[in-house]
Amino acid sequence: MKPARLAVIALWLLGLAACSAWLARNLSVDAELTVFLPPSTTPAQRLLVEQLRDGVASRLILVAIGDGSALELAGASKELARRLRQSGLFSFVNNGDPTAFSREREILSANRYLLSPAVDAKRFSTAALQAAIEENLELLASPAGPFVRHTLAADPTGELRQLAGLIAPQDGPSLQHGVWFTRDASRALLVAETRAAGFDVDAQKRAIAFMREAFAAALPGTGRLELSGPGVFASQMRDTIHAESWRLSLLASVLVILILTIAFRSFALVAACALPVVTGLLVGVTAVAMGFGTVHGITLAFGATLIGEAVDYPSYLFANAAPGEPLDATLSRMGHTLRLAVLTTLLGASAMAFSSFEGLAQLGMLTIAGVLAAGLTTTWVLPRLVAPRATERKLVAMNVPSLLPRLLKFVRWPAVALAAAALVFVVSRQERIWDDDLANLSPISESAKSLDRRLRNELGAPDVRYLVLARANDREAALERSESLAGWLGRAVAGGRIAGFEVPSAYLPSRRTQESRRSALPEVKTLAESLSAALKDSNFRQDAFAPFLESVARARSGPLLDTESLSGSLLGLKVSALLVENRDGWTAVAPLRGVQMPERLAAEAARADYEFLDLKEESNRLVNAYRNESLKFFALGLLGIAVFLALSLRSLARAARVLLPVLAAAVLDVALLLLMGRTLSLFNLVALLLVVGVGLNYALFFERPQEGVAERVRTRLSVTVCATTTLSVFGCLMLSQTPVLRSIGETVFFGCLLSVLFCAALSSPYARGRA
Amino acid sequence: MRAPARLLRIAGVLICWLPQLVAAQAVAPSELMRLLASAESSRATFVETRHSVLLKAPLVLHGTLAYRRPDRLEKHVLQPHDERLVLEGDRLTIDNRTRARKLTTSVAGSPAIAAMAEGIRATRAGDLAALERHFEIKVDGRREAWSMSLRPTSEQVSGYVSAIVVTGAGSRITRFEVQETSGDRVVTEIREEIR
Repeated sequence: MKPARLAVIALWLLGLAACSAWLARNLSVDAELTVFLPPSTTPAQRLLVEQLRDGVASRLILVAIGDGSALELAGASKELARRLRQSGLFSFVNNGDPTAFSREREILSANRYLLSPAVDAKRFSTAALQAAIEENLELLASPAGPFVRHTLAADPTGELRQLAGLIAPQDGPSLQHGVWFTRDASRALLVAETRAAGFDVDAQKRAIAFMREAFAAALPGTGRLELSGPGVFASQMRDTIHAESWRLSLLASVLVILILTIAFRSFALVAACALPVVTGLLVGVTAVAMGFGTVHGITLAFGATLIGEAVDYPSYLFANAAPGEPLDATLSRMGHTLRLAVLTTLLGASAMAFSSFEGLAQLGMLTIAGVLAAGLTTTWVLPRLVAPRATERKLVAMNVPSLLPRLLKFVRWPAVALAAAALVFVVSRQERIWDDDLANLSPISESAKSLDRRLRNELGAPDVRYLVLARANDREAALERSESLAGWLGRAVAGGRIAGFEVPSAYLPSRRTQESRRSALPEVKTLAESLSAALKDSNFRQDAFAPFLESVARARSGPLLDTESLSGSLLGLKVSALLVENRDGWTAVAPLRGVQMPERLAAEAARADYEFLDLKEESNRLVNAYRNESLKFFALGLLGIAVFLALSLRSLARAARVLLPVLAAAVLDVALLLLMGRTLSLFNLVALLLVVGVGLNYALFFERPQEGVAERVRTRLSVTVCATTTLSVFGCLMLSQTPVLRSIGETVFFGCLLSVLFCAALSSPYARGRA
Repeated sequence: MRAPARLLRIAGVLICWLPQLVAAQAVAPSELMRLLASAESSRATFVETRHSVLLKAPLVLHGTLAYRRPDRLEKHVLQPHDERLVLEGDRLTIDNRTRARKLTTSVAGSPAIAAMAEGIRATRAGDLAALERHFEIKVDGRREAWSMSLRPTSEQVSGYVSAIVVTGAGSRITRFEVQETSGDRVVTEIREEIR
């Protein structure tokens, strides 16, 4: 072994070892969605993403317990709730059991004069007290008598009644045996909120697994537990994708190994084919981790697709080697083309690397570093690693000297016509190409979605679609704005435009409001006099309301309510969910129920200086912005590639022969997908990038000046090997049950097939009758 | 002849006493329910009296009660104010004419009030299953003088009401007494006419 050869291999191994060691210590993969946000994001969009990843709605698990008698189900619900509360995995569990809210009732009772919106100075005048007492007497005689009686002595003005809705919503599910049931009484209902954030799929999975175990213990034998919610969806989705990607990648690997084995008839070569792509992935991830601090999960997933092209590099090298020729000699013949193949991909990705979207920049960086490393491994390491004679046993493709060129000559013009027609079709459909509704790509089954709708409906859970926001610079100001927002929304409810709403200030009024309520409370002496006058002609005893005097006295000198006094209660949870702090300041969030005519409400909200937020529309707009940015860099990359090809091939005509067939294939690919009734998303765009990447390689190799039949045969072999491996990998993806994977599979499969046909017909010198 | 004659006389006495003997036995809940369920409809006047430490004098209401199979119960307070309560199926309507206030809610929306109303309606209907959803039932006495104690099972009600004691004779209900945890007692005396 020559020392130079040893040195290259040693350097390569050292590089791999260094990358692995560095990654082992420093790699952190995060799922922070905000990385993928455009810098131009509006505050509303930032809030949206924060809510999606960590908001209360993202942490809710909706539970239905079925298959049993009502008594059994109620028992199971209570036992399940007890176990969930004990586990510490859930910050809040509610099955409607009113006895579970004793702490909340205490807080409401102790702070009723600070919380009740009805408190003002007039409320404690003799006349008002007289009216209140009169009303109490009637209530005492009503069916609510026993319940009114309970708080009558301490709360004759009925402040607690004003606050009842805060812990037991009026339109909640019905109770049976003390817990929530569905309307048809077939299932008990429960809502749990995980402590873990919604985006933390592992933690969500743990919480769900715990819930299933707890249920099995709470209702052994029979019973059925149905779960829904964003965390449940996310973990189902991950399970599906995991199971599928295992199965499909195993199938794809077997196919690829089979193809390479048939083509090269050497296990050493087949093994060597894996080296560049593995090196590329390792170096690419290291580069991103070093450049950005963390690597995003999405970068990894997409990056693996983009680097996928590198699998082809060694095949080009091995297939193009003449019998007995050392790989170094092969490289001196076709190295230029291979370098162009690598460099065009680099150029395509480099535009992306400069994007101000961090997510796109990460993808660009990963592709650049990865493809460069893979290219270098192919040209520097493989020739020194693989024995010169190893390529000798490879399959020599059948020589078809006359038939194929003639055939290709005939299809040339029809291909051009077809591409032109496809272009016209795609342009005519340009309004309907994109689908920005990510829900359509969701792998969640229709039955799971309908279960979610049903449970949400039964539980009266907010639509989680419409919000009204009131912003301010600090917490107190946000609470004050929330109070005026509550007034505004109250009028909207009265006008029938919405069915209901929630605001943070209902649970924690601003200090200003609390202070004004507190100062509205009269002195005990004054109050005692007013009360005594009010009671003069009533059937109540003079001393009946002594606890009322005490309560008011205590509230007058007591502290204001703050977040600490609410912590650990349902009320505190509501406040932290509805009052959000981020870099844009403080926002009071008001989720709406039953919105009629959202456009009109949005316009009215804007006039009143509130923000109306349609989460669905906003998220679609976000995806749209992201896709447009990607499209821009895609176009920029193509332009760069075109200029580069013209310069390095020193001929506009040659550059056109390389580039146009690939673009034609890409356009036809899009047209085909549209004809199949598909709409495209961001994922298809990334897939198209790969199509162009591999397509350019086919074109470059076909277009390369080739000496003699043997070389042309080898070219055909190399492109055939590369195309069949790509087709089999992405053909496997087409079998996927997951819409995202299937969609990527379709795009690359058809795109690759069309590329190879177009390049053979339009790039190859055969097709121009120069054979 | 003498012995058979005596036997006959004893048998005759026994036959005359038989209904009383059977009636003297404690009535079972299921039997009481059958008795109560025999009423197709009923009308009654009532006097309801709340005894409370908060009040100078007991609070007294006068009015009428009406029941119609299977699930309509109307309580019409005539004195001292005018309030009509109708429980029909799942809907509870409270129509206070004195205050011109009308409210319709579903029983599911106010479960505690629903339990109290069901205590009266299900008793009148002889619906054991409905009663058992809300109460623990104990029956004492004979057919023509029975009493049934209903202890609420839901903590939502048991925090306020310790028991409802219903007394009656045959298929008629004569009295409800609600014993509250506050110490108050609400006694409703009923004069019922069954059809």
